[in-house]
Amino acid sequence: MSASETATETVSESEKKIHGVTAEFTSVDTLLAACRRVRDAGYTKTDAFAPFAVHGIDKALGIKPTVLPWIALIGGVTGVTVALCMQIWMNAIDYPYIISGKPFISLPAFIPVAFELTILLASFGAFFGMWALNGLPRFSNPMFTNPRFDRVTDDTFFLFVDSKDERFDQAGVERLFADCGGEHIDTVVEDDSPTKVPSFLIVAWLVSVALSIIPLLIVAKMRVTNSSSPRFHIFFDMDFSPARDAQQTTSIFADNRAARPDIPGTVARGQVQDLSFTTGIEKLSSNAPKPSEHLVAFMQESDDSKTTGGAAQKSVMDTTVWLDKNPRKVDASLLERGQQQFGIYCSVCHGMNGGGNGLVNQRAQKLSQSTWIQPSSLHQETLYSDKYPDGKLFSTITNGIRKMPGYAGQIKAKDRWAIVAYVRALQQSQNASIDLVPQAKRASLEKEKAGVEKRLKEEAEEAQKKAGESKKDSPKPA
Amino acid sequence: MSLAIPNGLDNTVEKPGQRAPLVLGDTTYHDITETVCQVAERPPSKSWVAGFLVAFALLQMLGLTIAYLLYTGVGVWGNRSPIFWGWPIVNFVFWVGIGHAGTLISAILFLFRQEWRTSINRAAEAMTIFAVACAGTFPGIHVGRAWLAFWLAPYPSLNLWMWPQFRSPLLWDVFAVSTYGTVSLLFWYMGMVPDLATFRDRSTNKWRRMAYGLLSLGWSGSSRHWMRYEKAYALLAAFAAPLVLSVHTIVSFDFAVSQVPGWHTTIFPPYFVAGAIFSGFAMVLTLMVPARSMLGLEKLITIRHMDNMCKIILATGSIVGLAYGTEFFIAWYGQVGEEQFAFTNRAFGPYWWAYWTMVTCNVISPQLFWFKKFRTTPWIIVVITIFVNIGMWFERFVIVCTSLSRDYLPSAWAYFSPTWVDWAMLIGSFGLFFTLFLLFCRLMPVINMSETKSTLAKQYHMAHLDDDHAAATEH
Amino acid sequence: MSEHAPVVVKPADHEAFKLPASLSALGLPLCIGGAIALFVGLGLGYSSVSAKFGMSAYLTAFMYCFTIVMGSLFFVLIQHLSRAGWSVVVRRVAELMMMMIVPLAVLFLPILATLFTGEGVLYRWDSSTFWADAHIADEVVANKTGYLSQGFFAIRAVFYFAVWCFLAYYFFKKSTDQDETGEKAATDQMQWWSGPAVMAFSGTLSFAAFDWVMSLSPMWFSTMFGVYIFAGSILSAHCAIAAGTYLLQSKGALKDEVTVEHYHDLGKLIFGFVFFWTYISFSQFMLIWYGNIPEETEWFFVRQQETWVTVAFVLIGLHWLLPFLGTMSIHVRRKPFLVFCWACYILVMHYFDVYWMIMPEAYSGIHGDAYATAGGAIGVVSSLLCVVGMAALLVGVILKLATQTKVAAIRDPRFRESMAFENI
Repeated sequence: MSASETATETVSESEKKIHGVTAEFTSVDTLLAACRRVRDAGYTKTDAFAPFAVHGIDKALGIKPTVLPWIALIGGVTGVTVALCMQIWMNAIDYPYIISGKPFISLPAFIPVAFELTILLASFGAFFGMWALNGLPRFSNPMFTNPRFDRVTDDTFFLFVDSKDERFDQAGVERLFADCGGEHIDTVVEDDSPTKVPSFLIVAWLVSVALSIIPLLIVAKMRVTNSSSPRFHIFFDMDFSPARDAQQTTSIFADNRAARPDIPGTVARGQVQDLSFTTGIEKLSSNAPKPSEHLVAFMQESDDSKTTGGAAQKSVMDTTVWLDKNPRKVDASLLERGQQQFGIYCSVCHGMNGGGNGLVNQRAQKLSQSTWIQPSSLHQETLYSDKYPDGKLFSTITNGIRKMPGYAGQIKAKDRWAIVAYVRALQQSQNASIDLVPQAKRASLEKEKAGVEKRLKEEAEEAQKKAGESKKDSPKPA
Repeated sequence: MSLAIPNGLDNTVEKPGQRAPLVLGDTTYHDITETVCQVAERPPSKSWVAGFLVAFALLQMLGLTIAYLLYTGVGVWGNRSPIFWGWPIVNFVFWVGIGHAGTLISAILFLFRQEWRTSINRAAEAMTIFAVACAGTFPGIHVGRAWLAFWLAPYPSLNLWMWPQFRSPLLWDVFAVSTYGTVSLLFWYMGMVPDLATFRDRSTNKWRRMAYGLLSLGWSGSSRHWMRYEKAYALLAAFAAPLVLSVHTIVSFDFAVSQVPGWHTTIFPPYFVAGAIFSGFAMVLTLMVPARSMLGLEKLITIRHMDNMCKIILATGSIVGLAYGTEFFIAWYGQVGEEQFAFTNRAFGPYWWAYWTMVTCNVISPQLFWFKKFRTTPWIIVVITIFVNIGMWFERFVIVCTSLSRDYLPSAWAYFSPTWVDWAMLIGSFGLFFTLFLLFCRLMPVINMSETKSTLAKQYHMAHLDDDHAAATEH
Repeated sequence: MSEHAPVVVKPADHEAFKLPASLSALGLPLCIGGAIALFVGLGLGYSSVSAKFGMSAYLTAFMYCFTIVMGSLFFVLIQHLSRAGWSVVVRRVAELMMMMIVPLAVLFLPILATLFTGEGVLYRWDSSTFWADAHIADEVVANKTGYLSQGFFAIRAVFYFAVWCFLAYYFFKKSTDQDETGEKAATDQMQWWSGPAVMAFSGTLSFAAFDWVMSLSPMWFSTMFGVYIFAGSILSAHCAIAAGTYLLQSKGALKDEVTVEHYHDLGKLIFGFVFFWTYISFSQFMLIWYGNIPEETEWFFVRQQETWVTVAFVLIGLHWLLPFLGTMSIHVRRKPFLVFCWACYILVMHYFDVYWMIMPEAYSGIHGDAYATAGGAIGVVSSLLCVVGMAALLVGVILKLATQTKVAAIRDPRFRESMAFENI
């Protein structure tokens, strides 16, 4: 399009309102120079159009900085406030519940969401704020009436002076543009194409709005009404479990029983057959008197021993036929096992030597616990095997006595027997004579004994001496 | 009006004090428009159609397997006690990681004024969005009843009368990934508006003009608009930069706030972020190297761009390697039995093959980028970056599966085996990614034209400066 | 673009590139005064509070200076690595600071000496009774003492310092030589070596952080600790560069070369690294707080007792929130004086960070005090004397060094680009 053609066009369209004048430039530098001249000539309602952001053009045209950062800041502050309030209200006030031991208001745990919402709303502020400040979207723009303006998004720069500018004078502006080296100086007319939205668009919009609220209306209706027909089941087998109850029939098995009998040869947990090994009572199932009496006596065992208060005799009420002999083979390895288990489970109360002064007892004494009952010493005559059979000792470990809890849950039956063996050994150790020690080891034992006695004597003397000295130093009581 | 730069110029060599050009050839503003627009305006090439058909078929496979999974229940996956996370979470973390390059290039490189980003940021941002779409799929279906996934949103529920659990890292993840997806989308779209206006102004077809006209919101290129636009772009970049860090940090929290040995380690946040950037750049290169020659963009996406990206891959790969080493050292130094076991088990337990695949691909293969030859030969770049992608998938596999399969309770130990559904979904997710990417190449401006033009303007400007300088020194 | 006056590079021997006389006169007094203050501070803490307290205060001062110096080294490396143009005019300030790694190697000797002269004077693991008193299993002790032993610790320290001194010297020498020769190849060489250098830097810094600070609490561990030290280091280095450049300018050097644009950029980076520091320290806290495992929470537990919880809140409010809000605005960043003020402020806050990392460990453990104290007024005075003394000493050395060189890398090929640089 040449300049003369444009001129004739302008004339023919002279009845259209003039929007302003544009000139084209092909390089950034000439555009910037022209901008400065236009600015210095005093025009204020000007604009430059470019295919990319030209650095420095805001200064050249005198454009003021934007308030956009403030909008983003408001977005960000809103985000952080909303996020923190929301989380505190939801998790600590409206519906407080404890999760993994964290406090209701767990600020560190609220930071991630607070951060994300800050960024989200600040970004919304920057994004939507920018379009709003720019007045976009706006599809009708007088600039677009000029077909040459299509090149503004390609490689051409346009400088524009608005006809509403106070100093606007078409000829003067055109001259100024020409001086600056502007090409294709054109007048821009107002866009007078119909602004009415095409009716088919309106219809389409209305139809889509109408369609889109249908699902919402359905949901709303569902929420406020009841229905007698059953709801739709997506997971049929989850809503209606195919599992059968005990007395029901099934077609899966030939005998039609839903409850299945035990598989031959299996033993359920806790149903081991050898009762005397797990109770310490001889032939529990087929015992001489009457099994029922026997069981009653067995259940009353602990009450009885309380009332008899550790009598030196076998309780007359105790009709239980206890196993007299440890059913396991007593050898060094069993004793070792027993020692280990005793050390783990028994020694904390009964002490390593079975004297009844374990760490727990010492602690309880220290705290002067009034409800504390001192654990028994295992070295009482009533507890020796002639008065207190192995089976009974085993049963005590198993079921507990007085304040002592039963250890069946913690210690396996065979280990309880090992403990019984070890307790016997401990008792033996308190009453042993030198004759029990093999000949070969007696000499070294005697020697050790002598050493210990000597040391004890020395210590006693020293203590005496010290006591004497401290008496001398300390001031005499008044 | 153009600055003649020989086509064959090796712009990877930069004389100190003189910036190497980022736009090659005797290029003008108009040439940039032409080069980029022809990609979308010419009829689709056979290779594009073939690629699209394959990708679309894979996408259908993904859709069908998801339908199958929803109909049957999540038992069709290989997830078994104690490995309840399995492949869905591996794939999720993998895709979220891929999704980090786009916004990183757009935001952080923008803030650091790395101008070479201009010709690759658009495609990278698109990849971000598509990768986040792939990533979002997996936790969405992993919740088991996908149609109740909206329970994650804090809305006043009339049924439940309760609120989401904000002290759970999984909920942080929902917020992080959805915020990231949204902000990336805004950023991408905003960057595209001036270029969509170019498409609008070039289109000859009425419908096309209308569609692009609507999408470009009446953009006119007014300098006032540009000024606010630039400000908004800078602001979004400033918001997106910490956002990128936060997203993978929060993904790493999913693991690290737990007490599972091998997961609970404080280096996870920076190490996950570095790994994400690493895998994201690798994916960008894997796609951009073939795309640039197929779409005829060699003058705009130059060897220098690839050289720079390879360097970033080398740097992040080394950070990842350092993190692997640190983890091992601290597991030993800390002298906590479970931690030590977890790490020995990774390297020498039943998953040793996955671990060593990961180390080879992630730590050793990028070290080849120390050599310039490897950074500037396109096919080698593609091969190495594919290795990196494989390695990064395995990294997530190693983290998820080795730690879960052998935790505190030896009686519960198990070995994870994927089912065909796992495989189909992993492959199908690539179908989703590539379908979207190929559509993007056809319909949208693949290179940010307006920014590339401003880079070119700067190139002119610097050339003038040098001329002035030469003239000044002559006096 | 072309509105600006053409960039004119002044000749190399111009006054603007020499250290102003008013500053060079300060060199020796600062060295002497600093050394005295350091000595008095250490002695005061050592004798009036406890040996452990004195040495901890010394270590705090050391780590404070060390982190700034290492941050400067990293700044220089990363500028070369990224072929940065904008930073050339301020790079020499960072280069001068990174050379202080050499005097710091000497200042490390007292710390090393504590290992050989006493039992657990500074590091608890250095005491022969520590492991038994803390009831730690033999196998663990065997492994731990394999790494935390006097000899191996010393060897590692020597190795770290060798690497850093070499790096600092190489990049300093190349750059100052370029002032004379104007050789462009030097820029290329520095760029090439910066890659491996960054790797060597990050590996060694991480392990130095584990050795020197993390091992103060011998059983505690955090994989991120190296990154935590690095975050504080890079932040404080940017502040030190901004502050140093501003001081140079206020005394008359680099008047036209460093413009508001450079302060704007440094301001942006300071803002960014405040955020980065917060991100790293929060992540470390978050993971340990949430995991709630006693082995790990120990470190934060100690720091939530008595005085230390105050310091923790100071860090949240004044190391993160205040500078974060303060440096957010473009109007602040484009005013050199305000950038200078914020830089100085953050340098003070950085001391709180290092103090909080080290001083709470200055208690004697199982049989002694349960928690450390700030040592009362004398303790505070001695801590401050130590850090002010050491910083003054190093600034003095920097000024001494700067009299022998230019204060800008004047013949760097990108110097012109840097001068003409503008923020967009």
